[in-house]
Amino acid sequence: MFPQPHFFRNSPWTGFLPTLSGLCAGVALHAQPLNPADTEFFEKMVRPVLDAKCLECHSPAKKVKGGLSLDSKPGWEKGGDTGPALVPGNPGESLLLKAVHWADRDLQMPPKKKLSDAEIAVLEKWIQMGAPDPRTEPGTGSRSTAMSMEAGRSFWSYAPLQNPPVPAVRNEAWPRTSIDRFLLARMEKEGLAPAPDAEPSVLARRLSLQLTGLPPTLEQLDQVAAATDPREALAHLADTLLASPQFGEAWGRHWLDVARFAESSGGGRTLLFKDAWRYRDYVVESYNADRPFDVFIREQIAGDLLPAADRDSRTRQLCATGFLAIGPTIYEEQDKQRLRFDVIDEQIDTLGKAFLGQTLGCARCHDHKFDPVSQRDYYALAGIFASTRTLSNYTDNVVSWVTQPLPVEPEISRRIEVESRAIADAEQELQSLKNRLAELRDRKAGIAKLPEKKPAPPLEPGVALPLSALHGVVLDDQDAKAVGEWKTSTFFPAYFGTGYLHDHNREKGAKSLTFTPKFPKSGSYEVRLSFPGFPDRARNVPVHIFHAMGDTTVHVDQNKTPEIEGRFVSLGTFFFEKDGDSYVIVSNEGTSGVVCVDALQFLPADEKQGPKTTDTSPATPNDAPDPVAALKSAIARKESQLSKLRGERFPVPVTMSVREEDTRGDTAIRIRGDVRQAGKTVPRGFPGVIGNLHAASFDSEHSGRMALADWLSSPKNPLTARVYVNRVWTWLFGTGIVRTPDNFATTGTPPTHPELLDHLASRFIEQGWSTKKLVREIVLSRAWQQVARTPAPTDPENRFFSHMNRRRLDAEQIRDGILSLSGQLDPRIGGPNIVGAADAAADSGDASKVEFGYVFTDVRRSLYTPAFRNNRLELFAAFDFGDINTPVGQRHASTVAPQALFFLNHPFVLEQARAAANRLLAEPETERLGNLFRRALSRLPTAAEARACSSLLSLPMPPAEAWAMVAQSIIGCIDFRYLD
Amino acid sequence: MIPSPFLSRRTALHRFGCGFGSLALAGLLGQNRPATGSQPAPHLPPKAKRVIFLFMAGGVSQVDSFDYKPALFQHDGQMREFADLRALQRGEKTAPKFRVMKPLWEFKQRGQSGLWTSDLFPSIAGHMDDICLLRSMHTEGVAHGPATLFLHTGAANFIRPSMGSWLLYGLGSESENLPGFVSIGPSLGNGGPRNYGNAFLPARFQGTALGRAGAPLKEIAFRNISASRPPEAARRQFELQQVLNAEQLEPGDTQLEAVLQSYELAWRMQSHAPNVVDIQRESAATRALYGIDEKGTDDFGRKCLMARQLSESGVRFVQVNYALNSSSNPAWDQHSNMPQHAVHAQAVDKPIAGLLADLKARGLLKDTIVWWGGEFGRTPYAEKNGTGRDHNPGGFTMWVAGGGFRPGHSHGATDEFGHYAIEDKVHMHDLHATLLHQLGLDHEKLTYRHDGRDYRLTDVHGDVVRDILA
Repeated sequence: MFPQPHFFRNSPWTGFLPTLSGLCAGVALHAQPLNPADTEFFEKMVRPVLDAKCLECHSPAKKVKGGLSLDSKPGWEKGGDTGPALVPGNPGESLLLKAVHWADRDLQMPPKKKLSDAEIAVLEKWIQMGAPDPRTEPGTGSRSTAMSMEAGRSFWSYAPLQNPPVPAVRNEAWPRTSIDRFLLARMEKEGLAPAPDAEPSVLARRLSLQLTGLPPTLEQLDQVAAATDPREALAHLADTLLASPQFGEAWGRHWLDVARFAESSGGGRTLLFKDAWRYRDYVVESYNADRPFDVFIREQIAGDLLPAADRDSRTRQLCATGFLAIGPTIYEEQDKQRLRFDVIDEQIDTLGKAFLGQTLGCARCHDHKFDPVSQRDYYALAGIFASTRTLSNYTDNVVSWVTQPLPVEPEISRRIEVESRAIADAEQELQSLKNRLAELRDRKAGIAKLPEKKPAPPLEPGVALPLSALHGVVLDDQDAKAVGEWKTSTFFPAYFGTGYLHDHNREKGAKSLTFTPKFPKSGSYEVRLSFPGFPDRARNVPVHIFHAMGDTTVHVDQNKTPEIEGRFVSLGTFFFEKDGDSYVIVSNEGTSGVVCVDALQFLPADEKQGPKTTDTSPATPNDAPDPVAALKSAIARKESQLSKLRGERFPVPVTMSVREEDTRGDTAIRIRGDVRQAGKTVPRGFPGVIGNLHAASFDSEHSGRMALADWLSSPKNPLTARVYVNRVWTWLFGTGIVRTPDNFATTGTPPTHPELLDHLASRFIEQGWSTKKLVREIVLSRAWQQVARTPAPTDPENRFFSHMNRRRLDAEQIRDGILSLSGQLDPRIGGPNIVGAADAAADSGDASKVEFGYVFTDVRRSLYTPAFRNNRLELFAAFDFGDINTPVGQRHASTVAPQALFFLNHPFVLEQARAAANRLLAEPETERLGNLFRRALSRLPTAAEARACSSLLSLPMPPAEAWAMVAQSIIGCIDFRYLD
Repeated sequence: MIPSPFLSRRTALHRFGCGFGSLALAGLLGQNRPATGSQPAPHLPPKAKRVIFLFMAGGVSQVDSFDYKPALFQHDGQMREFADLRALQRGEKTAPKFRVMKPLWEFKQRGQSGLWTSDLFPSIAGHMDDICLLRSMHTEGVAHGPATLFLHTGAANFIRPSMGSWLLYGLGSESENLPGFVSIGPSLGNGGPRNYGNAFLPARFQGTALGRAGAPLKEIAFRNISASRPPEAARRQFELQQVLNAEQLEPGDTQLEAVLQSYELAWRMQSHAPNVVDIQRESAATRALYGIDEKGTDDFGRKCLMARQLSESGVRFVQVNYALNSSSNPAWDQHSNMPQHAVHAQAVDKPIAGLLADLKARGLLKDTIVWWGGEFGRTPYAEKNGTGRDHNPGGFTMWVAGGGFRPGHSHGATDEFGHYAIEDKVHMHDLHATLLHQLGLDHEKLTYRHDGRDYRLTDVHGDVVRDILA
């Protein structure tokens, strides 16, 4: 038993709560008035203790922690979240007493300082007496402010979708679309008038940046400027942009924000999501293909479960499920049960915000404080994800995620097979060459050869060998730090160095040997333990290997002859860091039989470079060929062949995904979110305020994700279409009809135009959930084409959309705009883009190193810039694209000095300004300033701007430098950063 | 009334529209002014104005440093049952036995206060009369990642703002020319930027990293602060920048005006910040005090001295990280080799003592909180019965000095082995609440509305530890 037994809890959200065991309601025993002696005892002895030590946290007047009030009899009778606080007459069954005794580490009250024995005795006696308590009136203070389920069903966002009629307007001349009519009707009601139409060139810029994330080309500007019918030219431009692959890049980026897309895990040790790009590409492709949004949902939630028509569909559907896997998981959380629920929570929170605009995560610990979402609703959903496997295992110190292999064409499958065989053969040949070399060296050094083949030769008589006979990092038993008494022996002579150590077969659990290897370089090493095996040896010697990714315990059977060369067993291959605190501990804990340790060897798992000391020195022609040199060069050749084979092998494609859990079923409510405090099991299902739209049923065959996907993507779901069309609106206008795009619940902002929202949502569903149709309809509305201006004091937030909002460009638009201006933008679409990721095992220290030391150099679109959670591109961090840990429906747009410093001094800006200058210098002198302004700002300079630029250009300095300074000033100016 | 910090479009055009020759813009923009804008008001009379947090990444062993446990000497080498947190979290039903391991350093009583501390930190030991030990700390998270995030943000899994960001949000910045929250040499591991991130608070409250763990000292500097061109050219480009901005400004549009302001602040920082963090302008005696130019202590000494310079210049929260840029084992993480603690202690001991002495001599200690410690402590028993100690969030020591904390005092206690806090326990939430309190903020009132609810640094927990206030 633990000295202080019971489960342990480690959650900051849970407070201190007892278990439910053995507790049923122990209610009012004392209906009649108290006798005076009882009253006196309470008043003199009990009340002072309660007042001084308990009520600070347990009275409605202050706090009601754990839901428990101790300020009145009804308070403790009702008890806290886990039941009544005490059983009158039965101290042994009373949680209160258990708590004050501090017997259970998880239930220690008061939490900071234990009561004195005398105080505890008073409470015990009081309960024994039947807990007489004159405080019969419940304390005041409300517990819940949440909306009831019934009220919730008629709340605007949970109510069924309407398709309201398009309203009449007074100014019939203005509206072009139904959107315009809805907005104008409201403006007229508010006494506002729409703003004038924006200039065609402004609209060309707006369209291009909004639909593709890039400024318009000079040709596009010219076309719009030359058009006799600018409206038609703009409509044509919109169609061109919608059809361009850059549309998917820009709009995929929006969705990636919602999906908190990143390419590393962030929290704790940041692990590299080297395959996350497949999800990114899936999203981009979905927008380009105008995949219906309901399909898009189903693929992301349950793509692995959907039937697939062909390999491409299967690939696409599997990659889509990356949505569930790419969260900021702390894979090293030690409490693995908690980790499972943290992952589930993150998934529920993300999909709640992304598709439903709900903060469902709040209900993990308690019924939602404001919204009609109960803890029961939460665990009904949690059951679906508890039946889904997201973590690859539940036991490693640092766990990993689930990957799914992607289907490949038959010929590729054959190729993979052939290549794997070739690599295995080469590895075997290399090993045999290395063995021959070792043998040769040993012979030269006068050392007997290492036993080479299995089965190993009998141990006796063995030969002692020097440590130098071994490759890699080698530690002798004498190098270990010994705890307890270990005896050196040379009895079995097959040892390395000066003998080996054994534990006398005594003081089990009290002896250990700690080896602290130093590694010449970080990398993967095979760890081998050498010992003389013998029948009196222990069969289960625990060896703990502390490597860069955590610790692993291996049990070694020393009862038989070691498998490798009769001397070693392999403990596995692990990643070690050069300067890491790595070590191996052999202990005699739990062993019966002698524990023996001779040496430890760490063999580099991939010796990429062969020994090269003699390779470069030319052989003297007169000499007979040196067999060592010949072998070495053969090894070098074989190694380079092997590395070539490995480099050229077809990478078996996998994607981050989920799968059905081994066992599927309902899960229990966790009281106050504590994973170890299971309450009632609740059937899987959907939040009651919306209900079961299609009578989905759940069984033990399925997780229920498919049912969830259907429920989310149902046209009857009142939230999904509303939330999504509002997102699209927000992305196009800068603010939403609902101004809290991730929060459609009671704490969010209600829609300014509920009828328009429902009109758009219904139409969206009618038109086959097509994003492109919706976008087209909005950008061709007259409302979207109004001029941008500073809001009027009468409507400072422009809630009525009586003009366009002026918006700061996103970080990516800024970077892509700079690269367009300089002409350096690399337009390649899709694919992986993290240098070094392909070679790193995703869950190794190597992978973290890729992120930590990453030098961002590529000039592809910002969508492809490695999206590490802990090491962001500096420009992204500076321009509000720093945090990608939670769904973001609307980016912030801060204005801070580090941005100005970035534009003034960052090498990227300077470099691109010089490239832009060189591009201009190749153009006719008279067109330079105009081209610069048109490329960057989609307009010509004003007279004042032209004057200011010219006066700098006229200063005596090299033109390239002067133009670079002008280009830099354009990059840094307001009109570059803001979209009108 | 403070003059408008930016130029109106009209003024700018008037001034710059006809050329650059006669401009004295640099001087105009470079002048120092008192802080503009409305500063948020504190909730309480503040006892301290700023914090220097000396973060010992990886977890210093309390039983080898500040938490004296004679029982460890008595029972050294014995096998005993311990409620090991990893075993508990694995759900093991029986308590494993571990070998009690005595401290590797000798304990003595120090100063007037007579506090017992070990020879691990001999120089800091000389300042015990200025220090308030918190020997009953406990926190959340058995692994570095969660515990480090918890220390900095009050949450392990949820994405929350860092304490320095909360402080800026609550109190505003003291300096016009410098960011208000700086982290010197932070690690990218164990949460990385989240440990100085603003999360859902506005971006202006984010921490500014100076360099990163493991990077050479010359990279410990504000980013993009050095002018990219010779002074004359830099000024010209800056002038053109501001002329264009003034031309493009729409009068009354505050978000556009903010762009001009941001450039002005940038320009001031450019001329001001490099002088703030300049070790060269310190006397030889001061440099020696911090162990600068001395083997072993130079790196952390420079960082501590920078921290003082930044604090002196009005940076509200300075964190000095003693950390490695490693994904797995932070600096103090001695699982296998406790003697290694000596190497780390040697690197920080003199610089920290120097910092305390220097702050005191300058009269800064009274309103500066110096806060020292790691994300958790270490076990009093040997890990896997080897020669190191494992993580221990159940009980450990942190200390605070200055800033209105009770000097020469020890608060709370762990059990007889130094394993779990048992007396006057101070949860990390409590410490956060107390630090905010000293800075004039009520941790229950310092809230920010996000996702439809009010968030706090201390979630729904935390009590001010009044016993440690002077």
